[in-house]
Amino acid sequence: MRDPRYAKLAGVLVNYSVAVEKGDLVAIQGSAIAEPLLAEIYRAVLEAGAHPILRVQLPGLTEMFFKLAKQHQLKYVNPVAEFEIENLDKVISLWADSNTKSLANVDSKRQAVRSKATSKLFMRFMQRESAGDLKWVGTQFPCNASAQDAEMSLEEYEDFVLKACMLHLKDPIAAWKRVHGKQKKICRQLNERKKIRVVAEGTDLTMSVEGRTWVNCDGTANMPDGEIFTGPVEDSMEGTVSFSFPAFYSGREADGVKLTFKKGKVVKATASKNEDFLHAMLDSDDGARRVGEFAIGTNYSIQKFTKNTLFDEKIGGTFHMALGASIPESGGKNESGIHWDIVNDMRSGGKIYADGKIIYKDGEFTI
Amino acid sequence: MTDPRYEKLAKVLVDYCLDVQKKDLVLIRAGLPAAPLVREVYREVLLAGGHPMTRVALPGATEIFFGHAKKHQLEFVSPVAEHEVDKIDKLLAIRGTENTKSLTNVDPAKQTAVARAQSDLRQRYQDRVAAGEISWCVTQFPCNASAQDAEMSLEEYEDFVLRACLVHKKDPVAAWKGIKRKQAKLCRYLNDVGKIRIVKEGTDISMLVKGRTWINSDGRNNMPSGEIFTGPIEDSVEGTVAFTFPACYGGREVHDVRLTFKKGKVVKARASKGEDFLRSMLDTDEGARFVGEIAVGTNYAVEKFTKNTLFDEKIGGTIHMAVGSSYPKSGGKNKSAIHWDMVADMRDGGKIYADGKVIYKDGQFTLG
Repeated sequence: MRDPRYAKLAGVLVNYSVAVEKGDLVAIQGSAIAEPLLAEIYRAVLEAGAHPILRVQLPGLTEMFFKLAKQHQLKYVNPVAEFEIENLDKVISLWADSNTKSLANVDSKRQAVRSKATSKLFMRFMQRESAGDLKWVGTQFPCNASAQDAEMSLEEYEDFVLKACMLHLKDPIAAWKRVHGKQKKICRQLNERKKIRVVAEGTDLTMSVEGRTWVNCDGTANMPDGEIFTGPVEDSMEGTVSFSFPAFYSGREADGVKLTFKKGKVVKATASKNEDFLHAMLDSDDGARRVGEFAIGTNYSIQKFTKNTLFDEKIGGTFHMALGASIPESGGKNESGIHWDIVNDMRSGGKIYADGKIIYKDGEFTI
Repeated sequence: MTDPRYEKLAKVLVDYCLDVQKKDLVLIRAGLPAAPLVREVYREVLLAGGHPMTRVALPGATEIFFGHAKKHQLEFVSPVAEHEVDKIDKLLAIRGTENTKSLTNVDPAKQTAVARAQSDLRQRYQDRVAAGEISWCVTQFPCNASAQDAEMSLEEYEDFVLRACLVHKKDPVAAWKGIKRKQAKLCRYLNDVGKIRIVKEGTDISMLVKGRTWINSDGRNNMPSGEIFTGPIEDSVEGTVAFTFPACYGGREVHDVRLTFKKGKVVKARASKGEDFLRSMLDTDEGARFVGEIAVGTNYAVEKFTKNTLFDEKIGGTIHMAVGSSYPKSGGKNKSAIHWDMVADMRDGGKIYADGKVIYKDGQFTLG
């Protein structure tokens, strides 16, 4: 039996997010756990007249690889994967785990060797994407492991994910186009502004965004989506921020994170849980103490924090900041091996000022 | 927790069948139900120092493809698949599906269109195999769909498959090497034989094999294996053969097939069920009425017919003949789009004569 919800989601991903066209070579990647959605995407890609190639991953192989691989295997770059990246027109990635913590005990040094070896693949992917030669979208398949992180039953989590993707609406693509239109207006206005100030309980932060571009996240690279972001001027961040939600990075968690900035750099960092981890992350490299992204989440179908950045950073009524690498599209210039999004709730009294004028209050834009 | 049986089977596949070497790029192609074995093979390839890559088929994807693909999609050859064929060193195909009949209602014309479009790619692969650049092996994961065809419970079928692969033995690789040595002797003997005659109830058939090569199927390309075969001289097959077991092809079954040959060609074909299908297959092309392969199954751990050629043709105490294309390495020259193996039981009084001398009786070779 086909699940009509996944058929609908597949339609949004294929026809809206990456806009598959006849003759496209389309990779569909995801864990075997996401089987029902993989099958619907495969069907939708065929219906669009394109050529789907399925890349079904089996749970458990990545941990096995990190446990057993010798140096020559960790450093190996598969020539078929290299060739594939050069030839794909569209990529649809599904996240689905049987266990979101399965890599928790992997030696991070081995992971680093692997990341370094495959970075040229990642770079080519990014280059082709920014040149417009390749389009990518990532989405989450509602599976038990993520439902568990979200502290929900699988059925509740399915509803949560599908609502976040606006699949409960009659015409989700029209809804995403409306999001695009609405956010475009906000981005246009913010592109004219120079200084942003964010005020909430325990938070008073200012930054310059002069000359930077606000990017409209409208469901074409992430599903669900709903945020606008930019890269603040690197040495301009001043003040203190207290994050209301825990900060997650590769399966680890720091709670009650509080950061103080001077001339764009974190000069003080405290946390109520895992402060050592926070400090270690900030010491990763030069750019890890600077902010690469400042963003406002606009998806009001997402209300609950679920320990999954794809959703958490989109929560309507929150802002997030990423320590580390900026996204070149925004004009940000910060470079780092990390990009760590940390989210703060603004729904209870938070305010954002642009050039001294209030533009956002209690989790809603007022412009 | 790993299943020790699959760990053992994986060792046979990686160390014996494929002989994976350090830095080999090893493609593991499998159906999703075979995941437990894929995991173990992946592990063994890593331990051997190779680079494993998996291509797991999504259940239902092939039906979806045939249901929706238009002409340009049926005829599409992925450049990535071409590159893959050029780069891999080893290929393991692990069969395992949820439903062995899922393609029964697909329009054969669409299947032919895909086969035609992929023929260059297949040739490219076969050229690399022939040049010794790719080693390959096909095996079966014991899944419910195949257990159902075999009319067994899953647990019974698991035991059947693993025993057939000699995985119940302490050292399966040593056991396969023993089979290889034993069969090498038989092949050496048969390579000097001019004429073969097979006799049993309802069957008396003779053929020339002079100058042809008997191939020792020792488990490297098929797991399980256990057969020796050659390609008879195309116009030499004379007489009648009655096949004991149903002949299965493309998910269809023909019962009690009886073929009569004159000058190598099928001149009479009868069946108690599926005779029309048998005739239409024999009419596929010129070569479909000639024998491409004569073989003796030698795997005595396989006793039961399970509607799966990988096993059926290996049953110890059977012979099989394929109508259609021959294997070039046997010296056979028959060409056809089909290769249809049909199996006859020899355990109840069957005899094989080589140049007039009995060499096989009641399902066993009698050579010293």
